Amino acid sequence: MAGESRGTSAKFVIQITQPGPPAVVAIAGEVDLATAPRLKEVLVQVIDQAKTVILDLSGATYMDSTGLGVLIGSLKHAREVGGDVKLAGLVPKVRRVFSITGVDKVFEIYSSVEQAMTGDQAEGGIAS
Amino acid sequence: MRTLLGPKVEVRIPRKPEYVSVVRMAVGAVASKMDFGFDVLDDIKLAVAEACNNAIEHAVVPEGHPNEITITCCLEQHQLVVIVCDPGVHPPPEKPAAQQAPDDLPESGYGLLLIQALMDELTWEPGPSGTTVRMVKRLAR
Repeated sequence: MAGESRGTSAKFVIQITQPGPPAVVAIAGEVDLATAPRLKEVLVQVIDQAKTVILDLSGATYMDSTGLGVLIGSLKHAREVGGDVKLAGLVPKVRRVFSITGVDKVFEIYSSVEQAMTGDQAEGGIAS
Repeated sequence: MRTLLGPKVEVRIPRKPEYVSVVRMAVGAVASKMDFGFDVLDDIKLAVAEACNNAIEHAVVPEGHPNEITITCCLEQHQLVVIVCDPGVHPPPEKPAAQQAPDDLPESGYGLLLIQALMDELTWEPGPSGTTVRMVKRLAR
């Protein structure tokens, strides 16, 4: 499953870069009402297999409340199966959406996938 | 509703998710005619997108009405007014309750929170021919 691209369009690409566990899923493009359902579908499958997923959001240029909802749903699903969803590499514009809504308080947020892998230096949310 | 004073740009889209990005681009282009910074332009685009999202997800459109959303931008002297109209009937979205435990956190309801945080004014007017959401972003003085 590593390196597999799903939900590909000109504006939105989901790539499972590491099957895990923990799985690493990289998102590029805009997470919005049109693309969030595809992200949800992929994350459900990845969490079922790997339980814990690190979401590389360094390529995500936009996220709306629908994207937040999908990530919260995924976090709940992961915790139900004994895993977690960790976020890495948020660009300032996306980070702001998390802080305005207070959703940053429920996720472990790291500046990079590498830091999320080691669990070091969570920059916000629940310290590991 | 107060009369709009200034040049107006109107965009009409099908009430479908894939067209919200068109609104974001159009509203961003219109707002850039005013003296907003790049970060504020992003805020305006997100707030208007959230209003459109709500119209798409929650409006119940009576039979025979056009299934479209109309977005009107008005460049007033010191502020941008954006009005999002849909032909549906729906209550204003509810904000998620504060201080919820992580596992109880709702998966929806953040749109209104974002609009309120990002814009200077928000009014919600249900009417017989649909729902109108009016948002205002003032220029920094």
